[in-house]
Amino acid sequence: MKFYLAGPTRSRITMGVIASASALALLAGCSAGPASTGGDSASGASTVDFWGWVPGLEDLVDQYNKLDTGTTVTFHRMTGDDGTKVKAAVDAGAGPDVVQLSTHDLPDYVIAGRVQDITEFVSDDESNYTPSSWASVSFDGQVYGVPQGIGPAGMMYRTDMFEKYGITVPTTWDEYLDAARTIHAADPNVYIANMSPSEVGQWMQEVQQAESSWYGVDGDAWDVGINDEGSQLVAKRWQTLLDEGLVTTDTMWTPEYWANVNAGKIATISYAAWFPSLLASNAESTSGLWKIAALPVNEGSTNAGDSGGAADVVLKGAADPEAAAEFISWLNGSDDTQETMISVGGIFPSTKNGLASPALTSAVPFYGDQVVNEVFIDAAENTPATWVDGPNYGTAQTALTDEFAKVINGQTTFLEALDAAQAATVDDLKSRGLSVNE
Amino acid sequence: MSSATRTISRPRRFTGAGARWVPYAFIVPFSALFILFLIAPIFVAIGSSLFTVKSSGLGFGGDSAAVFAGVENYVRALTNSDFIASFGRVLLFGVVQVPVMMILAGGLALLFDSSLVKAKRLFQFAVFLPYAVPGVIAALLWGFLYQPAVSPVIQFLASIGIEANLLAPGTVLWAIANISIWSYTGINMIILFAALQSVPREMYEAARLDGADELRIAWSIKIPMIWPAFLLTTLSSIIGTLQLFSEPAVLKTITPNISSDFTPNMAVFSAATLGNNANLSSAMAVILGVATLVVSLVIMRVTNRRNGASRDA
Repeated sequence: MKFYLAGPTRSRITMGVIASASALALLAGCSAGPASTGGDSASGASTVDFWGWVPGLEDLVDQYNKLDTGTTVTFHRMTGDDGTKVKAAVDAGAGPDVVQLSTHDLPDYVIAGRVQDITEFVSDDESNYTPSSWASVSFDGQVYGVPQGIGPAGMMYRTDMFEKYGITVPTTWDEYLDAARTIHAADPNVYIANMSPSEVGQWMQEVQQAESSWYGVDGDAWDVGINDEGSQLVAKRWQTLLDEGLVTTDTMWTPEYWANVNAGKIATISYAAWFPSLLASNAESTSGLWKIAALPVNEGSTNAGDSGGAADVVLKGAADPEAAAEFISWLNGSDDTQETMISVGGIFPSTKNGLASPALTSAVPFYGDQVVNEVFIDAAENTPATWVDGPNYGTAQTALTDEFAKVINGQTTFLEALDAAQAATVDDLKSRGLSVNE
Repeated sequence: MSSATRTISRPRRFTGAGARWVPYAFIVPFSALFILFLIAPIFVAIGSSLFTVKSSGLGFGGDSAAVFAGVENYVRALTNSDFIASFGRVLLFGVVQVPVMMILAGGLALLFDSSLVKAKRLFQFAVFLPYAVPGVIAALLWGFLYQPAVSPVIQFLASIGIEANLLAPGTVLWAIANISIWSYTGINMIILFAALQSVPREMYEAARLDGADELRIAWSIKIPMIWPAFLLTTLSSIIGTLQLFSEPAVLKTITPNISSDFTPNMAVFSAATLGNNANLSSAMAVILGVATLVVSLVIMRVTNRRNGASRDA
């Protein structure tokens, strides 16, 4: 510093130059793009930058880096709104090489060219994956990712309440409605379920159970079925439960929601295979009171439901797609990773070696030592392969949640909400120049 | 004070100050950042708002491309009734929240300036402290107080027979206004208080000699003297209202009664992220920017006229 104090003028100019230089450096830093994307595999030293959210991925990445693959993987744990940043990051050329995505979002990424076609690197893996999970990463005959778990649904229920009020575990939705009436009549502070207007996954698993899908492909055009027959069946069910005051309507995941779960206000929660561990950690005070049964079925059907899975994809900016594809192929399919993925990651496997892993069939103390995954394995086998993901899932989801909020306030009905979301989704597809069957 | 400094300071010698490039060197850091992070993004947004990404068929052909769309995005935004409704919502919010906050801030500033308050520093600090809490954190904190099962406030009200639902469709806007008032009254109070401090004390003495009481002094001297500061803070509050985002975006996670396009800024955000349409989002952002500019100009025009009028009088 002293050096610059030689004269006021010089020092100011110097400082000015330093300031502008550092500002420029800052800018350069911003526009430098993906600093992480390394060289090509020919040189034998690639770097793969990976963003994901599954617990325990740090250990698996370490494990991979110790293998002699010539690839170094760096990991960033996704939290908060990291998921919404990915698209912008890719478009700005600053995205990671590999990212974990909900498979519902994948078509959007494929159409916008944000993911790379990795068919040539991973097509041999297909035989190790369940057909429906492999279908969720394949479009137009090309493969754009490696599946990372699925979400078969089950029903968590409070054994103590069911016993107290003499209710047998409902196996059909009609029995479920009866149980809802009985339990609420017996104790007005207890509700059969919480209908969270923002939790689209819970809605989708029942839509899929009814053999419906939000999207479909017919010829060279999209079908949109947000208000189709199956969805209407689900809408009527929840309209009855809502109209009779048998459900709470809190937003899921909030302190309010968990307080109500802990206080014993909610008797059942139907959700995917990854949910039981979250229930256990957020409702410790109810340990031992829950068990898991199959999702109630529709009349004359044995279908289960699924709210969707995840996949690892290689993004547009990745310099070495082969190294990236090799990594995600190992991460999701290797015999060495299945146990960690299942027991630490809480993933319900989409792989055959995962489904055969003993880690999947361990007893869970929170659920009275029930082998809970037996329910989900059964559900995975009974999920109809009708669901198709479409190109504007975000728009459909937003439209539906905004409409559902009006439903629980009594401003509209579930059936009307479905029609409104259908119209918004179709309009949006058309504005993108895509073909829609009507 | 200034005259004293002047007598002891010697004229400095600026050896290089005559060079023509010197002033430019000084403004380079500011203008470079200003152009890159404010001016350029505006033009990028305007440019982006005139395009739209079109695909064909199922979209998997890899033929999606940005094509010139003219005002298509603007038409879509302006015919979207939810987007237009969001402007009405923030206007309603502003009409209530800004006056309440400004009256509170003005009242507190006058109180702190008077001799009525003991432990001034402590109370000033207490009023100002919420401003130091980032908006997102403030919304999270209040979010807990708004949820019946975890809120001591609502549980207390329930125990005395008052059923309060602060997150209902009709009340959630005012629950947000409450957070804004809590957060920003302090900073406005400080600005008004500082303006009051610069009022020459002789005027109060003269007024007292003329028989004016404290209320009369406040009404006839203090308020007119700080009127420009009052208008400035009001203007920035109104602009802040139009830009409302973090508080409702945080509360959205705990209540479905805040839709994805609750405020104009939230609509811009959800069009870009959830709707994955940066072009439409840019058009909405330009509309919001123009609306803010118009509101600011109108208020400044009104303000200037009033200032001129009072000066004439």
